[in-house]
Amino acid sequence: MTDAKIIDVGEGAAIPSKSDWGLFNAWGISIIGAILGIISLLVFQPDPYRRLLVYLGDGIVITFEVTLLSIFCACIIGLITGLGRVSKNKAINLIASTYVEIIRGIPLLVQLFYIYYALGRLLDVHDLTAAIIAMSVCYGAYMGEVFRAGIRAIDKGQTEAARSLGLNGKQTMFLVILPQAWRTILPPVGNEFIALLKDTSLVSILAVSDLLRRGREFSSETFLYFETYTMVALVYLVITLILSKGVSIMEARLSHYVRH
Amino acid sequence: MKRLFKNLLIAASCSVLALSVVGCGKKEEKKEDKPAAAAPAPAGPKTIIFASDATYAPMQYTNEQKEIVGFEVDVIKAAAEKGGFKAEFKNVAWDGIFAGLAAGKYDAISSSVSITDERKATMDFSEPIMAIEQMLVVGVKEKATDLAGLKGKSIGAQIGTTSYLVIKDVKGFKAIKTYDEVGLAMEDLVKGAIQAVVADSPVAVEYTTKKHADKIKIAGVLKSDKVENIGIAVKKGNKDVLDLVNKGLAAIKADGTFDKIKAAHQMK
Repeated sequence: MTDAKIIDVGEGAAIPSKSDWGLFNAWGISIIGAILGIISLLVFQPDPYRRLLVYLGDGIVITFEVTLLSIFCACIIGLITGLGRVSKNKAINLIASTYVEIIRGIPLLVQLFYIYYALGRLLDVHDLTAAIIAMSVCYGAYMGEVFRAGIRAIDKGQTEAARSLGLNGKQTMFLVILPQAWRTILPPVGNEFIALLKDTSLVSILAVSDLLRRGREFSSETFLYFETYTMVALVYLVITLILSKGVSIMEARLSHYVRH
Repeated sequence: MKRLFKNLLIAASCSVLALSVVGCGKKEEKKEDKPAAAAPAPAGPKTIIFASDATYAPMQYTNEQKEIVGFEVDVIKAAAEKGGFKAEFKNVAWDGIFAGLAAGKYDAISSSVSITDERKATMDFSEPIMAIEQMLVVGVKEKATDLAGLKGKSIGAQIGTTSYLVIKDVKGFKAIKTYDEVGLAMEDLVKGAIQAVVADSPVAVEYTTKKHADKIKIAGVLKSDKVENIGIAVKKGNKDVLDLVNKGLAAIKADGTFDKIKAAHQMK
């Protein structure tokens, strides 16, 4: 029973797919198009594009920072939630399920406003901290569902075999189930990473100086809306494509252990 | 070999695509420079649609009946009566309000727009409605009375406003933050997330006397060697609308209606 059960528990197949090779695939075309686009804008129309890219610089760093920290926290929250959701302990199960239901029912934008402006009166949270908390809490719930589905997808025989070998419940989960579940979990989790990166643009409403806000500042001052948002879109596209490539490399590494 | 050829083909088509984007950008700029074609003469009073960011009490804001009201709204309504046009208001977010004007989504902007040389390059302005000043708003316990006294602290302003231009290039702040609405900046100031806000004088007075009178105060006026006036912005070359608005504004200023509205709103 070692055949990998790659079931789709996410938003769709991961792009790039492992079967694509060479430059001639969706990923290659997009990244080359985006990078060539940026370069040709910088070369053929240095003003305002060079000035613009310099202006966006620290925004790109903030976007990265929010994304990476949120991914890290959301994975931890997601793992705990996922384990809670498959737990046989009724209380833990109920807490985890309620958390998922509540968070999934509130739009991220509202959560951001809520944590920063509504709870802000009670707790003194920095704008960047509030952004990361809101992103992690929100995506933690979504990832919890992915983790749950991944754990459930592992054949029951694995648990039975582990238990009959004398492993206890915790050992079964961490030594037998989870290492196998990673393979199923990674593609949808990768999709969540990318969705999270794109959703970080929402934190600009908290006046966090991320990529989108820097673009808005630049355009509202210079009135170069076309130029600014072309560049902002291309930069987001490049970052997202790099992240999706990273996820697919990780995926390829893990599927190395699958026996076909 | 076949793959190499394919790759080259893609690279070439990508660069063509990229070049066309550059081309589009250039074309658009040229279009903006051209004056807009004169609209055919309408029958009856012309309706002018004014975009207004109604988050800017007391100048323009939405009341509980969801109507756009405020000092500038009253001024425009009075000017419409005298100028012989119909004024309609549309609530548009500040960030992007100028892009909408350039795209022809509405005829004019009535949103306490300060008349600056940079803005004059991309749009036309009516005669000034009134002069405003930039004011520094701080927490009640703050002792600083100017920007220099706030070194090392965080300061905020609404995005794309002249208030932001005042602080944009000042060095020494811990952070300069831009907000979508001036009210959100004031909220952060009350909360203590930032230590100062720069805002137009009518707004600064409103927030420090009505909304958060016990928590924030006006630290001082940021003196400028240039008088800052607010006016109505129209698309570059849109003389029809501009003439109607100017006619109306001149009429209400001449017959004292303007001063009455000012008094009714307790404007200085």
